[in-house]
Amino acid sequence: MKTADPITNLINALAKLPGVGERTASRLAFYVLNQPEELAEELAEALVQVKEKIGLCRICCNLTEGDECTICRSDKRDLTKVCVVDSTQDLRAIEQTGEFRGRYHVLHGLISPLEGIGPDDIRVAELLRRLSGDVVDMEPEQIEEVIIATNPSVDGEATALYLNRLLKPAGIKVTRIASGVPVGADLEYIDRMTLSRALLERREL
Amino acid sequence: MLLKALRLRDFRNIESATLEPHERFNVFTGHNGQGKTNLLEAIYLLGAVKSFRPQTNATLVRFDQKQAVLEAGVDRGGSERIVKIEIHERGKKIFLNNNPVRNLTDFFGTLNVVMFGPEDISLLKGSPGERRRFIDRAIFNAHPAYATEVAGYEDILAQRNALLKAPSLDRTLLSVYDEQLIQAGADLVARRLDFLDHFQPVLERTFGEIFDTSFVAELTYQVRWLDTQPDLESWRADRFEIERALATRLSQTAGEERDRGHTVVGPHRDDLRATLNSLDVREFASQGQHRAFVLAMKIGEITYLEERYHFAPILLLDDVSSELDRERNRFLFDFLRGRDEGQVFITTTHRDYILLDEDLKVFDVDGGEVTERGAVENPVDESAQMISGPMVTGSAPVEDLTPGVPFGDPVSFLGTGALDEDTSEEE
Repeated sequence: MKTADPITNLINALAKLPGVGERTASRLAFYVLNQPEELAEELAEALVQVKEKIGLCRICCNLTEGDECTICRSDKRDLTKVCVVDSTQDLRAIEQTGEFRGRYHVLHGLISPLEGIGPDDIRVAELLRRLSGDVVDMEPEQIEEVIIATNPSVDGEATALYLNRLLKPAGIKVTRIASGVPVGADLEYIDRMTLSRALLERREL
Repeated sequence: MLLKALRLRDFRNIESATLEPHERFNVFTGHNGQGKTNLLEAIYLLGAVKSFRPQTNATLVRFDQKQAVLEAGVDRGGSERIVKIEIHERGKKIFLNNNPVRNLTDFFGTLNVVMFGPEDISLLKGSPGERRRFIDRAIFNAHPAYATEVAGYEDILAQRNALLKAPSLDRTLLSVYDEQLIQAGADLVARRLDFLDHFQPVLERTFGEIFDTSFVAELTYQVRWLDTQPDLESWRADRFEIERALATRLSQTAGEERDRGHTVVGPHRDDLRATLNSLDVREFASQGQHRAFVLAMKIGEITYLEERYHFAPILLLDDVSSELDRERNRFLFDFLRGRDEGQVFITTTHRDYILLDEDLKVFDVDGGEVTERGAVENPVDESAQMISGPMVTGSAPVEDLTPGVPFGDPVSFLGTGALDEDTSEEE
C-alpha cells in the first residue's frame, strides 16, 4: 500500500469511508486533484483538527472540544436523570425533541459478541463511576433515574438488559424508552414482536 | 394473486424474455439446461428475494453482464403492483411501483410463491433444516412479518454463540442473551405449533385423497433440545410453558454449551416427524407412500393458505411429474384443475406428463430463448402493457448500495444456506 502512487493512496483512503465505494472514491480523488490547492489544504487541516481537538467529555463521554461538553457545563440541566445512548448522533436526536432536560451518557457502541464488542469495549465503566460519584474533581451527581435509550435492536436490547442487571442491584431506578407502533403506521404491516410489545406496554387513556 | 406480466433481462442464461402468463396454467417445455428452471427461479426471487437453490448474486447475472433485471406485474385482489429486482454482483435492489424498497417487511407478501421441485421429494429423508424450512416458509407465506421474527431469533443466536466461544465468559452478559433467546424462541415455537394445529387436518385429508383413507398422516413437532417430548398441548395453550421449558433447559446445559461453543437449546434445532398410522415414514413407509406424503404436504400448504387466509399463492412446479408415479401425477393434476383459481408454472421435459389441455399457455424454452407456442405475431407490445415505459435500470451506482440494507442476505429460511446449526450432528 505504501508504495502505491499518491492518487491510488488517496483513492484507497477515501474508499475506507462508509458509503463510499471505489468509484465514488476515485471521483472524489480526481475532483480534489483538479481543484486549487486551497481545497486540499482546507480538507487536510479540517481532518487533522477534528481528531486533535475533539475529545470525550469527562462526565458523559459526549464528543466535545473542551474537558466537558456544553450539556454537562450547563446549569439548567436536571442532574437527577441520565439518558444512556449509543452515539453522539443519538444524543442529538433526543436533544432535538426538547423533551429531555437531564444529562446524557454516551456509550460509543453497543455490546455485540459477534463483532468482539463486550461491555469493556464501550463506556460502561465510566457510567458506573458516575453513578458511584467517583469522577475526579467533581461533586457527585444526584442521579435518581437512568433512562436507557439504545435502539430496539438485538444489540441495543442486549446492552439495555445488561446495564439493567448491573444497575438494578445498586438500587437505581432504570427505565427503558418505550417501543411500539410508529406514529402514522399501519398496524397490518407491523411485525408481531413490535405489535406484541406495543400491546404489553399499552397505557391507559 | 396473479402474475400478469414477467420481464427478464440478463438473468442466468436468459438474455431477454417477456411473457404474459395465463392466469391458470403455464408450461415451460424444453430439453434440460435450456433455462426452464431459471424462469421459475426468477418468479421465486420476485416473491422471496432469495433463490431456492444455492447461488451467489454473481451467478444470477448472465455471463459478462453487470446486472440482471427481473420485473413483474402482479395483481393481488384487484390492485396492481410492479415488482422489480435488480441483481448486481454486490447485492440486490428491490423496487415496488418503481420506488426503492428500504425494508423487506414492507415488500414481503406482494407475491406469494410455493415451490415444489425434485429436491423436495427427499424432504422427509433430509436434514431437520429442510423440514424447518418447509414450516417456516409456510408460516411466512401467511405472515410476512414472521421473517422479522426469525431474523431476530437468528441474530440473538449468532451473538450468543459468539459469546459462548469467547475466551472468558461474562455470565451476566450470557444471562442477557438467555433472556432474549427465551423470548424470541418461545415466539417461534408458538408460531410453529399454531401452524401445525391448523395444518394437520388439511394434511390428513389430502393424504387420504392421494393415497388411501385408511392411513392417518401426521406431522408432529419434535423438540430436539429436550430429552423427552413435552406436552405440546399445554405449550399451545400457554406460551409461558415454552418460556419455562427453555429457561430450565438453558440452565441445565450451561456447561455443555460452554464446552461446545454454541447454543444447543432452542427452536433452531427442532424438527418435524412424519408418521402414517403412528409409524415413522422414514423407517416404515414405501417409496409410494413417502412421495404421496411429500405431495400431501405441498398441496396441503396451498390448501391451508386458501382455506385459512383466503388467497391462492402462485405455485411453481419444477419437473416434479418425472419424480411422481403415474397415479400420484394424475392426482396432482386433478387437484390443480379442481381448484377454482390459482396460477401455476410448470417445467417439464415431456409435455405428456402434463395432464392439462385447457386454460393454459405453453412456452418453449431453448438456449435461454422463451417463445410462446402458437402465439400471435408481435406479442411483446401486448405483454408489456402491465409494465409501462422503458425498463429503468442503473438508477444509482452499484457501489452506493446502502450498507446495512439486508438485501444481500435476507432471512435464511427463504432460500438455501439456512443457519443450520445442527446439520453436522445428524444421526
